[in-house]
Amino acid sequence: MIDYFALLGIERRPAITEETLKGAYFQKSESLHLDPARSSEVFAVNAAFQTIANPATRIQHLLTLEFGDPCGGEISSDLGKLFGTIVEVLQIADQELGSLSARSSPILRALAYQSLDGLREKLDQAEEELSQRESALLEEVGRLDQSWFESSVHARQPLAQVALGLTFVQKWLSQVRERKIRLEELA
Amino acid sequence: MADIVGIDLGTTNSLIGVMDSGFPILIADREGSRLTPSVVYLPESGDPAVGAPADRMRALVPERTLYSVKRLIGRRPGESEKEDFPFAVTSQNGRMFLDIGDRLLNPEEVSSLVLKKLKADAEVSLGRSINRAVITVPAYFNDLQRQATKRAGELAGFTVERIINEPTAAALAYGLDRLRDRSRIAVYDLGGGTFDISILELSEGIFRVLSTNGNTRLGGDDIDRELVRLLKERIIGRYPEVRPELDDRLFLARVREIAHAAKLRLSTEDIVQVEIPFLSGNRSFSYTLTRQELEAIARPIIRRTRSHCLRSLDDAKLDPRALDEVILVGGVTRMPIVRQFCAEVFQRLPNITQNPDEAVAVGATIQAGILSGEVQNVLLLDVTPLSLGIETFGGLMNVLIPRNSTIPCKAGEMFTNAVTNQTSMQIVVLQGERELAKDNWELGRFNIEFEPVLKGIARVGVQFEIDADGILHVLARDTRTGREKVVEVSSAVDVSDDAVEKMIAESLDHAFEDMSERVWTEAVLKSNELLPAVRSALTLVGDQISPEDRQKIEGLVLEVETALKSHDSHRLKKANAELDEGTQHLATLLIDRAMTEAARRKK
Repeated sequence: MIDYFALLGIERRPAITEETLKGAYFQKSESLHLDPARSSEVFAVNAAFQTIANPATRIQHLLTLEFGDPCGGEISSDLGKLFGTIVEVLQIADQELGSLSARSSPILRALAYQSLDGLREKLDQAEEELSQRESALLEEVGRLDQSWFESSVHARQPLAQVALGLTFVQKWLSQVRERKIRLEELA
Repeated sequence: MADIVGIDLGTTNSLIGVMDSGFPILIADREGSRLTPSVVYLPESGDPAVGAPADRMRALVPERTLYSVKRLIGRRPGESEKEDFPFAVTSQNGRMFLDIGDRLLNPEEVSSLVLKKLKADAEVSLGRSINRAVITVPAYFNDLQRQATKRAGELAGFTVERIINEPTAAALAYGLDRLRDRSRIAVYDLGGGTFDISILELSEGIFRVLSTNGNTRLGGDDIDRELVRLLKERIIGRYPEVRPELDDRLFLARVREIAHAAKLRLSTEDIVQVEIPFLSGNRSFSYTLTRQELEAIARPIIRRTRSHCLRSLDDAKLDPRALDEVILVGGVTRMPIVRQFCAEVFQRLPNITQNPDEAVAVGATIQAGILSGEVQNVLLLDVTPLSLGIETFGGLMNVLIPRNSTIPCKAGEMFTNAVTNQTSMQIVVLQGERELAKDNWELGRFNIEFEPVLKGIARVGVQFEIDADGILHVLARDTRTGREKVVEVSSAVDVSDDAVEKMIAESLDHAFEDMSERVWTEAVLKSNELLPAVRSALTLVGDQISPEDRQKIEGLVLEVETALKSHDSHRLKKANAELDEGTQHLATLLIDRAMTEAARRKK
């Protein structure tokens, strides 16, 4: 397994600023650019950037390097509860969007479009809640970054938990946003 | 040092450029224009005419004058909805061909003729031969469309050094004299046949694409088609007796040309006089077309770019306010309504400093300069527009490389035998964003071979690699034997003509079954929904349409009401369809109203 931190020449830790990462990535890319002999390295460098740029995959990569596996775990109970509400909103959205796009008349669609304020609001609320959750998890990463240096063994489980939470929250966020865009597409 | 040229192979026009003492210069063709129409005329005997001379044949010999073939390149039969070309498009062995009567050509052959002309004219102009090129494609082109474009370049005698995305090229053109800047820009590229939106980060000479989105079948051609429809309607309004003659190919080609010219003029003028002399016999047709009328037609088409812009911003994790500039390229962005639309979506005035026809070619030339070493301190990091995956059990798509991954990139997947002594397994490669495999583009299939061993013992690793051109390569490696092999992903020839014909025949069978009471009931249901909807739409936004339009809609409503009493299902279906068509504009106004209200509520 390639150590992406080492490949880009950055410190192995949970929190890495965008500036640090981009600086390292750009420098590395420029040195490889136009050097056909090293073209195969470009794949790994791009993969390293992609992995480290996302906090969830970055932490999983970090834990795998340190402890041999990403230390899975289960999602917290409040995230489980949130999952319930999100699924409900997504189902309502899919139903309404489905029946709307089945309408063939432009005028019927246009009239229905006006009556979607309720759904729009639900999706906005879900997005808002998920964004808040995401920021909270990212703050948690910042805190755990500190404890990482005191004891990486102690930080291991909470970090795995945060990474998993982030993975789910990001996935739900993209699902909610996709529905919002599809709603606009009906126009 | 051998030159590398930069080529914008456009739907409507193509351009070629070369670096000259550190500056990108576009080269005029033999006719003296930097814009060479992407049109090929194939006479019954003799050499093909390409560019402006071919363009002049469009209205004279429409069935042998091929244009907008970019809409067909890399596509499969059945995949594209019916395109309204005046020349014949057919399929054979699962591939698309243009049929000019005495022979068949595939789209890449036609494109290669355009590229050959660009090459020959540029060689004359430069006084030396050129054989290396960078060619642009719409960012949202899939693997097959990219491969076909590359093949067109090779057929024309080029070594294709790089396939580069059009909006990325435009960003290079914009950013070349701003190499010290750090900024985030969006490039909104609406051309004759395709739409792309890309968001980039410029950082001291590094051009990093954050996200890209688009539609490879949305462009100015669609506006032309609607405009032709409007003109036909107006002609029939004046001379009902010429209706049968209006479907004549020659005549339509002429109207299309006139409509296109009128559209261009309406970008700067408010009113144009559309003249069609010698319409039929000694009738002639003259019509005053206003910009407002054109915009009413164009608005729903342009609005279709909105969701792509939103997706692109979402993927880049950016709010429109975080952008520093929105650059417009592509001829259609000359239309004032497109500029207004961009201002609304991105909440800022768009940047119109780039020449909308030339920016992409200039960017391709800069990329050629980067590859030849002539342009230094510039680095381009582009992405793959579509997710790449394979079909898994249950017909789902399993994503291996997500969209907007920086290219080149690769992903691996390990496969094993499900039963003892299984010798092979078929893998279906997909590109797209939908959850169900069947809703995505199938790039092709291939077989992986297993050694005959106990179940679960065989190990074949498959590596999917997307190169810097955005083109896929597949490599299979048996980890037990260490044998490695490049896998040919067979594309195109997977749907035989027989299968397609069978599908068509089956759907026709169903059509005949349906000729029954059910059709009538459905049509009545539709009318009953449609009539009150049109009435309430008229109360809501009726004041925004002209008295003529209102009268026309009322006539269509009356026809639906009369047809309801007739028990003639054919007549009712037709009346419903005409009312749908006639209220399109009303629907647009309703949505405008809803959007304005939503925006007001937000504030």
